[in-house]
Amino acid sequence: MDDYKFLFKVVLVGNAGVGKTCLVRRFTQGLFPPGQGATIGVDFMIKTVEVGNEKVKLQIWDTAGQERFRSITQSYYRSAHALILVYDISCQPTFDCLPDWLREIEEYASSKVLRVLVGNKIDREDREIPTHVGEEFAERHNMYFLETSAKESDNVERLFMQIAEDLMKQARTRDLPRYDSNAQSINGRTSTIGDSSCCSKLQ
Amino acid sequence: MSSSNPSTNYAELQRKYLQELKHLEEEEERLVDNLNNLFNQKTFLEDKVKGVSKLIPTLKVIKHEAQDLVNTINDISDSSEKISGKIRSLDVAKNRVDECQLRVNDLIDLDICSQGVQAAILDSDYEKGAAHVHRFLSMDQSVLTKTATDMDNVSNIMKSVRTLQDASSQLRAIVEHKFNEAVNNEDLTSIERFFKIFPLLGMHEEGIKEFCTYLRTKIASVAEKNLKTAMGIPQSDKRYGVIYADTLVLLFEGLARVIDTHQPLIETYYGPGRLLSAIKVLQKECDVQMKRVYADWAKVRQINKKIQVVNEILRMGSSSSFGKIEKIDPKDLDILIGEITLMHYRTELYIKFVQRKVMADADVGIPNQEDKEKIIKSLENVIKDSDISQCKHELLSHYLRLEQYYMDESIAKAVAMDTLEPSQQTSSMVDDTFFIVRKCIRRSISTGSLDGICAIINNACRALESDYCEVLKGRLRQGYPSGYLDLTQAYNVLQTSIQHGRLQSGDTEQSRTAFITALNNSDSSIEYVDALCDHVMKEIEQALPKMNSRDRGKLESCLSGLSSVTANLKDIIDYGMQQLRNAAVKPRVHPWVDAFLNVSHHFTEEELSAYEAGEPFVQTLIMNLETLLSSFKDILTPSNFDAFTQVLTSEVTQRLEKIVMKSTFNRLGGLVLDKEVRSLAGYITATTSWSVRDKFARLTQIATVLNLEQLNEIYDYWGNHDGALTWRLTPTELKSVMQLRTDFKSDEIKRLKL
Ligand SMILES: Nc1nc2c(ncn2[C@@H]2O[C@H](COP(=O)(O)OP(=O)(O)O)[C@@H](O)[C@H]2O)c(=O)[nH]1
Ligand SMILES: [Mg+2]
Repeated sequence: MDDYKFLFKVVLVGNAGVGKTCLVRRFTQGLFPPGQGATIGVDFMIKTVEVGNEKVKLQIWDTAGQERFRSITQSYYRSAHALILVYDISCQPTFDCLPDWLREIEEYASSKVLRVLVGNKIDREDREIPTHVGEEFAERHNMYFLETSAKESDNVERLFMQIAEDLMKQARTRDLPRYDSNAQSINGRTSTIGDSSCCSKLQ
Repeated sequence: MSSSNPSTNYAELQRKYLQELKHLEEEEERLVDNLNNLFNQKTFLEDKVKGVSKLIPTLKVIKHEAQDLVNTINDISDSSEKISGKIRSLDVAKNRVDECQLRVNDLIDLDICSQGVQAAILDSDYEKGAAHVHRFLSMDQSVLTKTATDMDNVSNIMKSVRTLQDASSQLRAIVEHKFNEAVNNEDLTSIERFFKIFPLLGMHEEGIKEFCTYLRTKIASVAEKNLKTAMGIPQSDKRYGVIYADTLVLLFEGLARVIDTHQPLIETYYGPGRLLSAIKVLQKECDVQMKRVYADWAKVRQINKKIQVVNEILRMGSSSSFGKIEKIDPKDLDILIGEITLMHYRTELYIKFVQRKVMADADVGIPNQEDKEKIIKSLENVIKDSDISQCKHELLSHYLRLEQYYMDESIAKAVAMDTLEPSQQTSSMVDDTFFIVRKCIRRSISTGSLDGICAIINNACRALESDYCEVLKGRLRQGYPSGYLDLTQAYNVLQTSIQHGRLQSGDTEQSRTAFITALNNSDSSIEYVDALCDHVMKEIEQALPKMNSRDRGKLESCLSGLSSVTANLKDIIDYGMQQLRNAAVKPRVHPWVDAFLNVSHHFTEEELSAYEAGEPFVQTLIMNLETLLSSFKDILTPSNFDAFTQVLTSEVTQRLEKIVMKSTFNRLGGLVLDKEVRSLAGYITATTSWSVRDKFARLTQIATVLNLEQLNEIYDYWGNHDGALTWRLTPTELKSVMQLRTDFKSDEIKRLKL
């Protein structure tokens, strides 16, 4: 068994073609894949990163954007610690769909999930969504915001590292009041950071 | 020195000379011997010298001959050099002759072919004509024109070439026409005949396309017939529920048969590596037919309406069941779900079959790695863009929706119809729920799709964690009524009412039973989850033996969701135990332990022996604990009973510690306490399977301190030596315990160095 201390599940969602797979490949493999087809169902990648001397294992779920895969992809929302909602800054319709995606997130994800809005493809000349529009949307919906380019590797590392750091901070603060018997469930092996123990809810 | 003793000197000298003389004589003797020896050898040596001098002329001859040999070898090497040069030019010449011969042959054949091809066409001997064209096409056309320009009768050759070119386009048109005619006439022999002629005319792709287009019509008509039969099947037929799966199976088996029978034909006449071209054409028909079956299925099974209802109900959550939408009984979906999984699985199998076939063909026919990868990529795209893939995804999507509904609704039903059989520790919802979950996961495995399996596992985790655990939690949240009854009495009532199935006889008993059952259900569920994990992993490994490490990681990650269900259940049990502690343990245990205060712990020797005979405090306590424990022993699962005993032990030891701190002791009082603590620990150890030492640690140490003969003895137990204890009491606590001994002096205690 590898010696990571935290395990976090990160799920990417958003319309087909906005560059989710490219973002994941860029981060996990350091490359921009040429002409791979659309994702089918869900894809699964792992990368272990270091945050302040601690090993953090990121389990990244790359989902297919099309409607017909929705019943597969939705089943992954609930156990996600972070959700990355991606749109394409050069494609208005992908931005217009964001409310639909948010509705879906509300319905299926844990209320405590860390939500990040990402505008991808900033290397493109034909921008349609100005940065401030994305920013405002994120603010209105209580999300982090970042613009990236999977192609030029802009902000990709930062996106995932920021998520890892934030989740770790969250896990630590939630960890504090829970000492003895529950301590091991926090280290992530059982992936229960999102759902605080039933006892605290009951009492 | 010499003058000191001359006489001895002379004697010495004389002895020396004599010795010298003897030496010389011996030397002489040896020399004479040597001389004699040499003399004897003289004749032998003379003979040798004579022999050697005879050899000298021969050596001269040899030297000459060697010289000659060197010259000869040089000559040979020179001439062989010349010869190999000649051979080289001979080779070149021979190649030219060969080439020339080839050209001559080509020319001769060109002549023959150009003369023969027309005749053959006129005779309708298309094989012969095509053979001529094939021969013509095998000639290097550029060489042919070069030959023509090298020769005088250019026009003759060019004429033949043109004749053949004309003839080949003519033949191509004829063959294509004839093939179509044969297809129209359903003339199988002609179809096969012209199919074989295409490659001779260099029309490989066209031939495959034409032929497979013909095969498409065959497939189409069979498929149409099958679909019509399917639609006509009466509802009473036992295959009615899976008739569309049956129809798909017929379609795929038909296609597989077509591929299997025609692949050797294509390989023989067209060469290997061309199967993908054939598949591309056949896939179009497969797509058409699949879509037709799918559309018909969707219509007849009213799939869209069902999905809509199901989505609606899923969105509202199964709790708000009295909506305006009419619910579908999950049982009514069983057959439909079964049919979908079958349809999906068969589609998946067919796709795998096609992939395997094309790969095998490419392995044989395409040696170049790069070309092979192109084929693989092209195959991937053919499949990815095909309608059967689309339909497959739709089927899986429908399956997942219906299965989710089935699982949620069935679990809700199992919970609603929960019953407790007399003498059972757990109620029916546990068995029923895990039966359902297991069934759903098994069904997902039968789709053959890992994504489908993972989604159902995720859904199962959600249903168990939120719906099912929520119910258990809810029941525990009702609390365990401590009630006015004595617990023994309560237990007896509970037992008899369970035995007689009269659970409604009293609110309190009912609530108690509900509470205990929920606690047992949670414990039993943990075992079920563990078993589920094991079985599911094994079954998936059997169904999908070729999972790669990424697939495996995906699956394991989803299965780990089940362990968080376990964690959840453990939390629920902990919560329930705390409830029991507050409601059933504390109110009983406190008065029992507090009775300690009613007894004086200042004993005289006489009182001591009287007390020791009965140990009234601790024996009463043990008896009470025994009664309490036995009232729970049979109604709790073994592991819950263990947990309960732990809770009870903590309560007793903590309370007793508190009470002891409120009492005072003399030396003998301490002795009695020490004994009583030992008896208590002994009793509880005998009751459970886990070690109680830890829970008794503080109490035992307090008793040890109170049992000291003199203050200084504490150093036997305190410090850094072998006899020292690992103390659970801080020095301050220890000193306040000492203060309880009235015979220990306060300032002496203070002076102790701890
Ligand atoms: N210019 C540009 N193109 C990108 C970028 N990221 C992805 N793409 C392209 O967008 C298309 C869709 O990408 P993909 O990752 O498959 O999208 P997904 O459906 O969200 O997974 C591909 O053609 C990519 O090459 C980017 O940062 N810049
Ligand atoms: Mg993708």
